Amino acid sequence: MDKRDELIKIFSKDIRTALKRVPVDFSQVQEIRLRVHAPLLLVYNNREYYITPEGNLGRQAKETYLVTRKELKETLEYISSYSLYAFEEELKQGFITIQGGHRVGLAGKVVLDGSGIRGMKFISFINVRLSHQVRGCADGVLPFLYENREILHTLVISPPRCGKTTLLRDIIRQVSNGTGPEKGMAVGVVDERSEIAACYQGVPQNELGIRTDILDCCPKAQGMMMLIRTMSPQVIAVDEIGSREDMEAIEHVMNCGCKLIATVHGNSLEDIRHKPVLGRLLKEKWFGRYIVLNNRGRIGNISQIYDSLGNGLYPAGGDRHGR
Amino acid sequence: MAVSFYLKAAGCLLIIAGTSGWGSWMAANYQNRIKLLEQLRQMVLLLKGQILYANAPLQEGFETVGRRTDGPLADLFSQVAGRIEQQQGETFCQIWKEEVGNLEKEAALSRADRQSLAALGEHLGFLDKDMQERNLLLYLEELDMAIEELRAHKQERCRLYTSLGVMGGLFLTVLLL
Repeated sequence: MDKRDELIKIFSKDIRTALKRVPVDFSQVQEIRLRVHAPLLLVYNNREYYITPEGNLGRQAKETYLVTRKELKETLEYISSYSLYAFEEELKQGFITIQGGHRVGLAGKVVLDGSGIRGMKFISFINVRLSHQVRGCADGVLPFLYENREILHTLVISPPRCGKTTLLRDIIRQVSNGTGPEKGMAVGVVDERSEIAACYQGVPQNELGIRTDILDCCPKAQGMMMLIRTMSPQVIAVDEIGSREDMEAIEHVMNCGCKLIATVHGNSLEDIRHKPVLGRLLKEKWFGRYIVLNNRGRIGNISQIYDSLGNGLYPAGGDRHGR
Repeated sequence: MAVSFYLKAAGCLLIIAGTSGWGSWMAANYQNRIKLLEQLRQMVLLLKGQILYANAPLQEGFETVGRRTDGPLADLFSQVAGRIEQQQGETFCQIWKEEVGNLEKEAALSRADRQSLAALGEHLGFLDKDMQERNLLLYLEELDMAIEELRAHKQERCRLYTSLGVMGGLFLTVLLL
């Protein structure tokens, strides 16, 4: 089954028919957006296209496929395999990760109770973000992540949709397998949203290397502690850190002799300096390397790689102080 | 004269053996029905566990329970899991009802058993975990009642079927003679 067949199964019957005919390579599709009574949109190679009912791509809103409420409801049934109840926790966070590691973002009417968000109803907006595994995309950054044959604590800084998870995935794979003169290391991955490994019934669908252990769907802070206690990893990798609990766990990891590779949302080192807890880690020079990404030109474009002092190391472009 | 007597006697014996066999088959079927409903009860309990404690979606729940058991009901659960995975664009209710309809005719379930099993699929997957639990508990209650009733009448029914078989055969023989 190719990527297109695997993916279009989650859409309602009519949308499937249109998507089946769309003349694009699905391995390059970034997003498919469904909004109630609004056009069906597809983001491909960083450009947004309308989809017509016949499955053609258009750049104008006329003759576009309009998504109905019934189709959204049907799509939601397939996304959750008729089991929305099993995604209560994910719904609270506004997304579901499906087979293949693709993330489906959801928006609608939020249901609240005394303790906060209980769930969501009248889901009228769906954003399917396709996950891509690009083997070798970390080739350019890996030489910068080692010093004296030892891997450094690394933070990947990137705005959304710039390929930070894809880069992290390949870094994990290469660190785990070993690359060039560097020996393979035991890597523990806390995959809170099932995006990195895309585990399906416990089996990773993405290649993360032969020395990698994965804690799937586990909150990052707890997962990092669990891994240290149980799997004795040399490197711990996590995606999208941000909460205060994450930071406490990160400090713990770094003090345990493990190396940390993490990603965070941001545009530059300056952005991170202004974050309350992460900023402190930056000032105290906990991280040995910072990789800043942008999507200028292509996704996953490296803006700059910095050392712990903020000196730019990457030869092509970038500036000393970040953007 | 003697030949005709022997033929008649053989005919009578065959009739009595046939009707007795039917009686025994009915009694065995009755017992199998109880066994099957008990197995179904066990499977629904396992499914409930999968949903509530393993937070499994329906496909995973049906697949796991189907693998742990055998017989026509295990096949039913596995088939449903397979069809959910294929995602051919049907509702869960459609899938479930079709597969219950495809249950082997030999499976010793009555029409009422099949109808109530088919109705289980109407509300599964709907709303939250509490709702799944309530649906399954409701069905378990129905199953318990059915099993209890069948068990209460087991001895008399089995005896009745066996005796009816033999007596029916004798009665037919007398009639024919």
